[in-house]
Amino acid sequence: MLQAIRSVARSSLSRSLPSLSSCSSRFASGDPSSRKEAPIIDNETLLAVHEGSTSANTIAVPAKVDISPITGVPEEHVKTRRVRIYQPPKNAMQSGTHNIHHWEMEFDTRQRWENPLMGWTSTGDPLSNMKIEFSSPEEAIEHCEKNGWIWYLDVPKTQKNEKPKNYGANFHWNRRTRVSTK
Amino acid sequence: MLRQPLSRALALSSPARVAPLAARRYADAVPAQPEKVEVFIDDQPVHVLPGTTVLQAAAQVGVEIPRFCYHERLAVAGNCRMCLVEVEKSPKPVAACAMPVMKGMRVKTNSDLTRKAREGVMEFLLVNHPLDCPICDQGGECDLQDQSMAFGSDRSRFTDIHFSGKRAVEDKDVGPLIKTIMTRCIHCTRCIRFASEVAGVDDFGTTGRGTEMQVGTYVEKMFLSELSGNIIDLCPVGALTSKPYSFAARPWETRRIDSVDVLDPLGSNIVVATRTNEVLRILPRTNEEINEEWLSDKSRFACDGLKRQRLVTPMLKDSRGNLAPVEWEDAVVAAARALRDCPPDKLLAVAGGLADAEALVALKDLLNRLGSEHVCTEHYFPTQGAGTDLRSSYLLNTKIANVEDADFVLLIGTNTRFEAPLLNARIRKAFIHKETDVALVGPKVDLTYEYTHVGDSASIVKDFASGTSSHEVMKRLQQAKRPVVILGADQLKSEEGPALLAYTQELAHKLQENLQDKEWKVLNVLQRTASQVAALDIGYQPGVGQALAAGPKVVYLLGADSGVVTRESLPEDVTIIYQGHHGDVGASIADIVLPGAAYTEKRATYVNAEGRAQQTLVAVSPPGKAREDWKIIRALSEVLGAGLPYDTLDEVRDRLSQVSPALVAYGDVQPNNYFAQARALAQSLQKPVSGKLDVQLKQLEDFFMTDAISRASPTMAKCVQAVLKQKNSPY
Repeated sequence: MLQAIRSVARSSLSRSLPSLSSCSSRFASGDPSSRKEAPIIDNETLLAVHEGSTSANTIAVPAKVDISPITGVPEEHVKTRRVRIYQPPKNAMQSGTHNIHHWEMEFDTRQRWENPLMGWTSTGDPLSNMKIEFSSPEEAIEHCEKNGWIWYLDVPKTQKNEKPKNYGANFHWNRRTRVSTK
Repeated sequence: MLRQPLSRALALSSPARVAPLAARRYADAVPAQPEKVEVFIDDQPVHVLPGTTVLQAAAQVGVEIPRFCYHERLAVAGNCRMCLVEVEKSPKPVAACAMPVMKGMRVKTNSDLTRKAREGVMEFLLVNHPLDCPICDQGGECDLQDQSMAFGSDRSRFTDIHFSGKRAVEDKDVGPLIKTIMTRCIHCTRCIRFASEVAGVDDFGTTGRGTEMQVGTYVEKMFLSELSGNIIDLCPVGALTSKPYSFAARPWETRRIDSVDVLDPLGSNIVVATRTNEVLRILPRTNEEINEEWLSDKSRFACDGLKRQRLVTPMLKDSRGNLAPVEWEDAVVAAARALRDCPPDKLLAVAGGLADAEALVALKDLLNRLGSEHVCTEHYFPTQGAGTDLRSSYLLNTKIANVEDADFVLLIGTNTRFEAPLLNARIRKAFIHKETDVALVGPKVDLTYEYTHVGDSASIVKDFASGTSSHEVMKRLQQAKRPVVILGADQLKSEEGPALLAYTQELAHKLQENLQDKEWKVLNVLQRTASQVAALDIGYQPGVGQALAAGPKVVYLLGADSGVVTRESLPEDVTIIYQGHHGDVGASIADIVLPGAAYTEKRATYVNAEGRAQQTLVAVSPPGKAREDWKIIRALSEVLGAGLPYDTLDEVRDRLSQVSPALVAYGDVQPNNYFAQARALAQSLQKPVSGKLDVQLKQLEDFFMTDAISRASPTMAKCVQAVLKQKNSPY
């Protein structure tokens, strides 16, 4: 009985996958910040498109360039990695914001350990130090798609409703902003 | 009219500069827009509201004026003079942080005069600042260091070293979290302003004048605040640094991973700094909708608990009744055997407060496949009426950021100061800047701001709901344009819980109906743990009382450490399987222990009290043989022959989105509805109530150790000790 449940669940899940990814609507909108996740492409639809184009005897020029076969990046690091595209957060310890006005991509963290020889940090992950800066999320997305990486966008919530500040509020006679200590 | 001065009217009416957040716009908050004035910053024209400071106007065109004392979330002090800029036709340079703009003002932020002024200020600051950057913890992330490189002089004229020497100040002791090296202090007074404005503990101040001026507490006293760690971040120099992190690492040798905190229900955004697979410190990450840029002390300093009391290997109880380390294979097979041999109706799973949504959904799917429906959370929520079917009945519907705009806040049986410190900071912000008033039904506690204490009897809520109360708070609630009612979820545990919830819903509904602003949500329920909302969304039954009474034979604890499941409450022959990351209450009663990953070690979904899904990222790898939680359950299902239909994290998240799309809409929060329906369903539950409301966390010492991670943290233990010691001191 359990087998039966499993097979039913499996098929229903796979059937509902394209609807979950909802990639078409995400692609359609121009604003990249509304695209949160790499589109999940269904194998069958991809094959169908390919067959159709050969039968028409035309030369299909790929709109998207996939350079992952020639980059030399091992397949494992293309298929199993996830790229996070984000704006670096402001360092809470400092007030400056000079180095955070760009977008970055980074890979998921893999194991790191202390190397017994020097006490430095070692890792077996060749992509752990690959942080690339971009001026916009579109560029980062394009770069990831070209390399075949699965990406997702992390848009920081840093917009705020700024109101004019007022030195006089410190000495206001009847408001709670009046300061008690100096 | 006098209580509404012009500046306040201006502050409320800045629609052009309001961030495009749909949640922030209200019907009555868009009066006529005051005319903007044009000013020129380095010859770039910029239109700003009258009253804006030169520094804020410059920020709008991307010109960052150097500063030490100015902080955008604190009051203007204007005492460091670093922000001096030249203004055309002004005889002297002006302090940009305190100077309001005037029409046609021409500001030069990079002229010779400006640069000379900055150089002079920097020289004076450095005369009284020690040259100990090589041994200073702030080194590498110090504003003074950076700004002296950028704006300071290239040589020193300080020759007084042999005559009177450099100024030296005695260090203060302000508790086990903050290390003070007061000689480094440049008197920016940010810590003083934070303590009095945000933390609400008015203990810091300055004494003396001129070279004798000192920042401190006057008498030696601990900084008794749950937000004290933030003054470490605020300090632009190394005068206030983190005691647990002292001399641990330099900022350039750590890796920073953006993540989410799970030690309180708000899900504050954090940055985890790691080196060599070890979490060194946790810093806040700006999120305007949740934590602004603050972080509570528990979230910040409990990270050393992640290295202690960890479960690093699977364990089985041996013949003498001791837990002995075994291989994963043996533990999983033993757990599978126990689950398989158990009749489905005698099977119980209990999820604790730190469980992530992926593990929760995997565990529920597994139990459902085995034929059991007994999946519970530790914390109770009434299931009568609408129960947990309508999401709006168990969430913080107003949203954290909107609490700032409330004009009256009613707290029912909750001490927000310790249950959700950053929500309390928001209420305090509203209290100070928007003249919001607060009333509390429950025990008298210190919320850091003044409030009207209505009493601690549950019948007060009943009177409010029925409108029969003659208390002034009732009138204030009815007059309020944006009232907020926050009910503590702990109150719902008792017999009268369903009635209390029903009355609160009734009250909120009545208030909401009379509002002009139809988008404003009144009803809020503040959960106590980070996992509760996700668990209820997934379909867990709240509370274990009934399930325990039924006498289960196998109990699966998923990080359930709050002590509601005990050996005494279970039959003799029960088998307890514990899956979690700390050897705490749950593991101590277990027969089979499966080591899981803590929140810094897995990529996992957590839903905060508002219903906002957020994900933690992997900062370090789990210690020893510990594994990610959903993977353990997936492996167990395979051995049981009831394999779950997902093999990768993406597939688990697809399953989550099948359950509820809100669980994977990371960063966003859906507006909630069906308040009227929930209230209608609960109407039959409105029975007389007579009990007294009590909260669990009353004092600061109760706040520090509330979960498996903070109980394992030595820093948190020191905090409790220090607070108790301070209580005995005469000051």
